[in-house]
Amino acid sequence: MASDTASTQKAGEIEAALLACASGDKSALRRIYDAECPRMIGVAQRLLRRRALAEEAVQDAFVLIWRHAARFDPQRGAGLTWIYAILRNRALSILRDEKRTELSETPIADETASEEDDPETVMTKLSDAKALHACLETLPEQRRGLVLLAFVQGLTHGEIAGRLKLPIGSVKSWIRRSLITLKECLG
Amino acid sequence: MSITPDRDETPQDRDVLAGEYVLGLVEGADRNALEQRIEQEPALAASVESWRDHLAAIDATARPIPPSPGLWSRIEAEIAAILPAAERGRSKAIKAGNTLANWWNSLFVWRGAAFAGALAVILLAIGLNGALDRAKRQPLMVAVLLTDTNVAAAVVNTFADGRVEMVPLQNIAVPEGRALEIWTLWDRAVGPRSVGLIDRARTTPLRLDQLPLGKDQLFEITIEPATGSPTGRPTGPIVAKGTTAQTL
Repeated sequence: MASDTASTQKAGEIEAALLACASGDKSALRRIYDAECPRMIGVAQRLLRRRALAEEAVQDAFVLIWRHAARFDPQRGAGLTWIYAILRNRALSILRDEKRTELSETPIADETASEEDDPETVMTKLSDAKALHACLETLPEQRRGLVLLAFVQGLTHGEIAGRLKLPIGSVKSWIRRSLITLKECLG
Repeated sequence: MSITPDRDETPQDRDVLAGEYVLGLVEGADRNALEQRIEQEPALAASVESWRDHLAAIDATARPIPPSPGLWSRIEAEIAAILPAAERGRSKAIKAGNTLANWWNSLFVWRGAAFAGALAVILLAIGLNGALDRAKRQPLMVAVLLTDTNVAAAVVNTFADGRVEMVPLQNIAVPEGRALEIWTLWDRAVGPRSVGLIDRARTTPLRLDQLPLGKDQLFEITIEPATGSPTGRPTGPIVAKGTTAQTL
């Protein structure tokens, strides 16, 4: 997250709440819920498109956070990052692995994503995160788009290739090269 | 990009693989294999953490969506339901030397396998992905739950490893603020016991860890308040019911 004072303080509060969760304090889980739940639903909805599935992913994520708060290790990374990793993994599992029994018309990936989730719209919203924004700017727009489609909308190589009418081999190698460029830039 | 460790893998290869993983581009069996590597290789784990840290700014751009009113109470209900079994599982694992196998066993007791897949990966502090392949497993017993008009609304499958799941066969209308509660009855003297609560018809693991399970055991679904029946007994209308029978 951005490194201004407010978010540093917020991060500290999340980590303190995770420690309290580990000792069985349910009000600490509620504090995380109050602070992060709306954003978590937003992230899950970008990946899953459907509101009900997004809430299901968030519900599962909070149960997992509660159950495994003791396994959170501040030495390994930030509390917020840990929480969002759990959420993203749960959402990707729902998206990719689980056979849904509802009589779904179209695969989730074929459903239209909100325009807000378009790569270039996300780019404009990223202006607060200066380092990431600047490094993404060094990539050609189309290649930056591939990276953002994968992360924001949860598309696979194949789905990105289909969406952009590109050969899958090109999508794979462009994403790899974009990652190399990004890594060099971000350090 | 190779998922298995490769003598020729450069730090750059490793960073690309970690980046693809965090983007969600490593799928299926490759994802599981990579998660094992991340658990064992600190350099790879550090690279994953670094990507997550950088890309977190993108998640921060998601538009906040207010949760629906029932979400917190569903989380609370689920936590309340799992806590005692979780504690049991934990103490058992510690007594037995806290081995990974015991941890796994306690998990299976604690919750259905679908969720255990998720938890295994949290144990690795990484992620989760298809730790189970439901399709490969043949149920031991099946109950077909019928509506009062004899339409099959759901099936309950029981498996050799103790898992029990409920799979809906059709959409079930759930009024706003209500939920579907699943019950089992093996002895009229004991009465029905709640084994699951879901907000809408979807496949769900049932919690029978401490309860008997046999042939001709009744399962039924009722409509209850969103946080479950207040009395611990079915109070709402019965959606469907049926009894278990052995598969051939």
